[in-house]
Amino acid sequence: MAGISEKRSGAYTLLAYVTLIVISIFCVLPFVWMALASIDSNVQLFLKWPDSVTFDHYTKVFAEENGVRWFANSLFTVLSATFIVMVVAGLGGYALSRSKAWWKQPFLYAILLIRVLPSTALLVPLYKILLTANNGIGTVLRPLVGEHYRFVMQLFGFIDGYLGLIIVLATGQLPLALWIMKVFFDGVPKDYEEAAILDGATLVQRIRRVLIPLALPGLAAAGLFAFMSAWGDFLLPLILLSSPELQTLPIGLFRAFLRVNEIDYGLLAALATIYLIPAVIAFSFARRFLVQTFSGGVKG
Amino acid sequence: MTTPMIQLSGVRKSFGSAEIIKGVDIAVEDGEFTVFVGPSGCGKSTLLRMIAGLESIDGGDLVLNGKRINDVPPDQRGIAMVFQSYALYPHMTVAQNIGFSLDLKKVPKAEIAREVGRVSELLQLSELLDRRPAELSGGQRQRVAIGRAIIKQPRVILFDEPLSNLDAALRVQMRAELQKLHQELKPTIVYVTHDQVEAMTMATRIVVLNKGKVEQWDTPIELYNNPVNTFVAGFIGSPRMNLVPGTIIGDATGQSFKANAGWTTRLDNRSLAGAIGQSVTLGMRPEHIQPAIDNVDLEATIAIVERLGAETYLNLRNGDDTLLVRAQGDLALAPGSTVKLALNHGAFHLFDQSGRAITG
Repeated sequence: MAGISEKRSGAYTLLAYVTLIVISIFCVLPFVWMALASIDSNVQLFLKWPDSVTFDHYTKVFAEENGVRWFANSLFTVLSATFIVMVVAGLGGYALSRSKAWWKQPFLYAILLIRVLPSTALLVPLYKILLTANNGIGTVLRPLVGEHYRFVMQLFGFIDGYLGLIIVLATGQLPLALWIMKVFFDGVPKDYEEAAILDGATLVQRIRRVLIPLALPGLAAAGLFAFMSAWGDFLLPLILLSSPELQTLPIGLFRAFLRVNEIDYGLLAALATIYLIPAVIAFSFARRFLVQTFSGGVKG
Repeated sequence: MTTPMIQLSGVRKSFGSAEIIKGVDIAVEDGEFTVFVGPSGCGKSTLLRMIAGLESIDGGDLVLNGKRINDVPPDQRGIAMVFQSYALYPHMTVAQNIGFSLDLKKVPKAEIAREVGRVSELLQLSELLDRRPAELSGGQRQRVAIGRAIIKQPRVILFDEPLSNLDAALRVQMRAELQKLHQELKPTIVYVTHDQVEAMTMATRIVVLNKGKVEQWDTPIELYNNPVNTFVAGFIGSPRMNLVPGTIIGDATGQSFKANAGWTTRLDNRSLAGAIGQSVTLGMRPEHIQPAIDNVDLEATIAIVERLGAETYLNLRNGDDTLLVRAQGDLALAPGSTVKLALNHGAFHLFDQSGRAITG
């Protein structure tokens, strides 16, 4: 009995490993090409070992192209959106978990609907609303800021401004984050808060010393999803931003790819590598929180 | 008589249109171990949470040590509570959990450490102070939860079914530890449980609750010996008291109980002449029915035999009635056979049609 199962498991294990290795290679290959191409002095479209190692492509991204600006724009807008998502989802998820209001379930499904609707379909009305809002805020700000109008609108404008992109990015990520936090707080017994009340904790102390530490795994997971998804968002910055100095990394990558006269694979590979790094870092940080969140709430 | 530590007068509570607590009047003396016991949904936990301040009070007065505290915030009542789930903060060590309330009050670090040391020694937690709750066993978590309560030196400690998450052996051990703790520190304790064994073993006084009302409120042994109604009679005592429906028959010189199933037994030392013909329920503790050869009151068929070694539980049938007998020693009786029974006539309880005990 044991002999048969051992033999079988031996063959199965081998088969499993071979299959897994093939799938792994299939998945990893594009990244290997990208990493190698970004340091290859003579880049080709096919996978090959670099003729000689060079960092010229990276230098080009930062020196000739506006790479630093693109990277900073991406990081600023996405981190701001992530921050907003974490604060709103933390508070909102808590409220949705503890509330017994009749509209709770309809509301939760309604926000999920937002998530499943293709954002492309919503772009036209969204653009129209943002344009109106942009004109409104422009009318208010123009007499106040005078000659700095263009600069101020790049910060606070809804079209071709940071604020608009940040708010729209955050809004897009909120439904999932709210659900994650709602489900997370469902798993946090009310007893913790009541114990803290009896220990003499004020509302602020309860939030800061008890709820936030308890919610940290959930917040990290919600924030990570928001960051990775917003970091990868291409369509919104493409539609909402037009000034070259506001371009984000995916738009820069896209524009570089579209240049008619030349396709500089080295530059593209270097840009893509830079674009990947924050997402990988974010994932490695939040991995343990992810496992904890999806394996069920607070332990202890 | 001194002022009671906790006094509830006409306390009421409703959730929506459902009245959960329907006017409770009890008093808990200083240093007393009072247990609220009752079936689930009887309102015992709600009542405890009202004393803690976690639920509002819709009517009546809650007085703590002579002061009405209906509207005093929970943390200013001088009350600590041990939760059913323990509610230990998972991100804090044992020491931080125990010292949290002092930390919130901005007590100096050195003093917190000293107090945590004192409490942890008392509860044998000194070795575990740097651990997190996830690394502790059930019994250890229980002790940390108690430590967190007693470090505040509260006037009253509330326990909400604290042993229900522990296995049977640990529950017995923690019961003993809680009693020891109560003897050493003499706090006023209000303890909620649905387990009448916990109530019987630990309580100074027991409050039996049912459907939001106090059924009876007395010492454990008084509840056992003199239940005021069939609910208390059935709830207190394990195995349950036998409750047999029947009527009182006889004449002015002597009365008997006639079970609906047909058998009769005389009722001694009672003056029930006025109750002849009345439908009643006869209550008999399982230990007050014994297999016998002489003075036999009735015969019954054995349905189930549970041999526990030191005693034997017999589940018997007599007509429609089921009788539970707790006999001393090991009896090797076969199911299906008949057994002759003698009743302890002095230990009878009689209840009228509405379930109230008949005295006299």
